[in-house]
Amino acid sequence: MTLLLEIVTPDGRAYSERVDSVVLPTEMGEVGILPGHIPLTTKLVPGELQVMHEGKPQSLAVDKGFVQVSAEKVAVLTEAAIQVEDIDIQEVLEAQRRAREALEEAKKEHDMNPAEIETLEAFIRFTAAQQKAKEKKRRDVS
Amino acid sequence: MKGLREIKGRIKAVKNTAQITKAMQLVAASKMKRAQDNALAKRPYSLLLTEILESVAPKLEGLKHPLLEKRTINKRGVLVVATDKGLCGALNSNLFRSILAMREEARFVAIGRKATQYLSLASCELLADFTVKDSVPFQEVRMVVEYMMKLYEDGEIDTIEVLFPSFKNTLVQEPILETLVPFGSLTEGLKALRKRHGVEEKPHAEDNREMLFEPTVQAILDELPTLFVKHEIYYRILEAKASEHSARMVAMKTATDNANNLIDDLTLEYNKARQANITQEILEISAASMAS
Repeated sequence: MTLLLEIVTPDGRAYSERVDSVVLPTEMGEVGILPGHIPLTTKLVPGELQVMHEGKPQSLAVDKGFVQVSAEKVAVLTEAAIQVEDIDIQEVLEAQRRAREALEEAKKEHDMNPAEIETLEAFIRFTAAQQKAKEKKRRDVS
Repeated sequence: MKGLREIKGRIKAVKNTAQITKAMQLVAASKMKRAQDNALAKRPYSLLLTEILESVAPKLEGLKHPLLEKRTINKRGVLVVATDKGLCGALNSNLFRSILAMREEARFVAIGRKATQYLSLASCELLADFTVKDSVPFQEVRMVVEYMMKLYEDGEIDTIEVLFPSFKNTLVQEPILETLVPFGSLTEGLKALRKRHGVEEKPHAEDNREMLFEPTVQAILDELPTLFVKHEIYYRILEAKASEHSARMVAMKTATDNANNLIDDLTLEYNKARQANITQEILEISAASMAS
């Protein structure tokens, strides 16, 4: 028995495969989903989403969002998602540093657009999630 | 018959116009492609969000959420999504036709300069106007949505509706008025959405077991409807942009074709006039030589 995992972001469908199991980072901690899981709707927090695909483990960094588990399907609705292998950690750290600086700058100026601040914060949040996922992966390998 | 120089001048003017419209057509074509891709990429997200909300909906009875409450409708709140620039055929005027009918009972928020102009000309109650760039950044749309939700919560308006040119295909755009808040029957809304997107009605994998909500239904409800409204409006604006660029491309193509036809006609006229002149001269010369 397999599950259909669908990860959807505003940029399109990021992942759609039949998988053996999924571990989701949720507000209540990590939740493991196997086929036949009870229907569940919950909130996703930024972190690492682990997938068992054809016997091989895969992992993705995801941003906050919602998850719905029904009979045979795990639908993940999130702001952003990226495969851990595709993460270039140097680039992510660099981007995160730049975003932090911009945020500092923005907070100093009080007439700054709040929407822009939130975008920066969301960006930092997601880069942090990527970083965590990537580092964990490296530890697992070594 | 007009003078040669006059015709020549007109040919030149029309040629210039044709060049400009041709350039605008090409620009619109490339923008259209991008806008269409944008709108298409957004579809799965919009659908899934609606699906999740639909499945949560039956549990909502007895829960309080400002966006779900039913209230008597005194003033409708209508967001009109038009274009900033003209020269896009009948897109805007088709859109505005339906405004007149509800002018008395609604308050308007405008996106796009053309909408602002029309609404103030028609002396409608215009609450605010925004412009959204062609790239449709989410932040800009968010400001609009948050403004409207604030109005809704304050009771200034009793519905949030969107009037926009929906994108059927490159040649056909149809103005649609949709009510987003208060949520009507989500199931029906979902059906309409699927149909518009051309997605097959999925036979819902039957699952009669009780849905579990973590941490609580209320926690999910705090965020989901707001997120839903934001993204639905965002998606509609993306679609409106795709419509705008398609309409402009088609309008400019027609204009270029017309200009080229006109050039052909004028060239014919010019050649005729020239020929007539030559014939005239020959006649004069031969008449003169006969006389001598």
